[in-house]
Amino acid sequence: MTDSRFRVAAIAVAAAAAIALPFFVADQYQLHLATLIATYWILVAGLNVVVGFSGQLSIGHVGLLAIGSYAFTILAGQHGVDPFIATMAAGAIGATCGFLLGLPSLRLPGFYFAMATLAFALIVGELSLAEQDLTGGGAGLAVPGFPAPFDTPGGFYWLVLAMAALVTWVTANIARLMWGRALVAIRDSEVAARANGVPVFRMKLLVFTFSGFTAGVSGALFASLQTYVTPETFTFELGLFFFIAIVVGGRGGILGPFLGLVLLTLLPEVVAPLARVGNFFYGALLLVVVLAVPEGIGHLVSTLRERFRPIKVEKQPVSPDLTRLATAIHAGKRG
Amino acid sequence: MSVLVAQAVSKHFGGVAALDDVSLDVRPGEIHGLIGPNGSGKTTLLNLLSGYYPVDDGSIKLGEIDLTAARVQRRAALGIARTFQKPRLLATLSVLDNTMLGCYPGTRAGFLETALALPRARRDYASARDRSVEILHGIGLGQILDRRARLLDHAEQRFLEIARGLAMKPTFILLDEPAGGLTEAEIKALSRIVLTLRDSGIGVLIVEHHTDFVFRISDRVTTLNLGRMLKHGAPEEVRRDPEVIRVYLGA
Repeated sequence: MTDSRFRVAAIAVAAAAAIALPFFVADQYQLHLATLIATYWILVAGLNVVVGFSGQLSIGHVGLLAIGSYAFTILAGQHGVDPFIATMAAGAIGATCGFLLGLPSLRLPGFYFAMATLAFALIVGELSLAEQDLTGGGAGLAVPGFPAPFDTPGGFYWLVLAMAALVTWVTANIARLMWGRALVAIRDSEVAARANGVPVFRMKLLVFTFSGFTAGVSGALFASLQTYVTPETFTFELGLFFFIAIVVGGRGGILGPFLGLVLLTLLPEVVAPLARVGNFFYGALLLVVVLAVPEGIGHLVSTLRERFRPIKVEKQPVSPDLTRLATAIHAGKRG
Repeated sequence: MSVLVAQAVSKHFGGVAALDDVSLDVRPGEIHGLIGPNGSGKTTLLNLLSGYYPVDDGSIKLGEIDLTAARVQRRAALGIARTFQKPRLLATLSVLDNTMLGCYPGTRAGFLETALALPRARRDYASARDRSVEILHGIGLGQILDRRARLLDHAEQRFLEIARGLAMKPTFILLDEPAGGLTEAEIKALSRIVLTLRDSGIGVLIVEHHTDFVFRISDRVTTLNLGRMLKHGAPEEVRRDPEVIRVYLGA
């Protein structure tokens, strides 16, 4: 199909551009922003499986990000653990916390689940302030970097980029293969999901645990990028920011939330007045998207096309091919 | 071959008895019609068989396997498929993707295998896709594989839900008012599909208001009234029963 060939070409061009980016940036700050987007994306890509596919509205992933950041900082900074091992440990701790948070809360209906994740983020924030011996309290902690060749801004960017690419590939596999359809069924019709044998709770818990892992890894890289973490780094607004990026980008895709994240990160940088209004900008953008393109900017083109040039559905009576139907049924007969 | 049996089942909602001591069995390779006035408990019985409600009393069995306490998912995995009065489709997904959801019980790959696209996950996907394409062509939706479900007309939605049930490789399929809202020509197509299912050895339970359709294709018919069994037997026998005529069919 030309469609899939086009897709492969587009991915190749995007990958080449992303890899070559450090040679084209005007200053170190632009490279820092690109690294920040890639770091955030590792979290958002995992969260997207939870929010965009399985439809569970978590607004508290900033809590998991904070846990990953502190785990990395404490392990690598104070106990001399190798930064790569510390990153994986941060992911494992994030996954464990995600599992423990999801275990009681994923059985709750949507609104209460969102509240549980909100409470979790607030608790993590308070604990990071209170547990001074562990986190340095309000004074914070200095974060170690990665060894050469990842100790330069360009080297670190490539490291984060490679991990972001890996996470993207993994979420694309989940979306494309059988799990993707089951997750969308959980989101759009739990009744249909159950009728088709989908283990609803177990699946929600697994993808939520996975999102805890990516949030933990993202937290480790985020801390290293910031070089210093304090409880103020992990504001509740940051958790909302991740969530809004997915809603603005659109549910049920991967490119959309990525575009949403890039847009939300870059626009306030490019358009200086927007930075001053901060949360107002995010609120306004969210409102515009929800009202004008509820499917998200990832579906902007197809939404506009359907609105202005509706697909002509030529009516054809359904005419079964019974021989083929019988053959198809027999092909799968249970022994 | 195992038989799907509801034995003396009762179900109450609040103080109201939706079903009271009703027994019914569905055999492989047979069409069993379930008719009765509104509120007689037809859909409730279907929900008890597929596991959406637990029974208050009585038992559900598939052959020797006791399903009385089994969850919906386990019944699906054992080959009991169903459709809904109002089709439950995934509006944003294509016809093909909706059908592939029905192949979920055959999925072997776990989360890690899927995340890393290991061979078993890719095989699950490929076989689900091939099977779904064949079923969709067979059922008459082969020319609109890529159309999103929300763009389908009513008949296409009904047929798609049956296709999704068949993707599951069912031994039984429970159809909740499959003829509802269909034209005469579409009901004819539906009849031919249901007869093909029966001839392929699948046990079909049809809950339906369209009594002509039920009497025409069923091997056995059960009539409910006010949660109780009114009459059970061959279509001709039930159709002529004075009590059935009095409470349901009319003169």
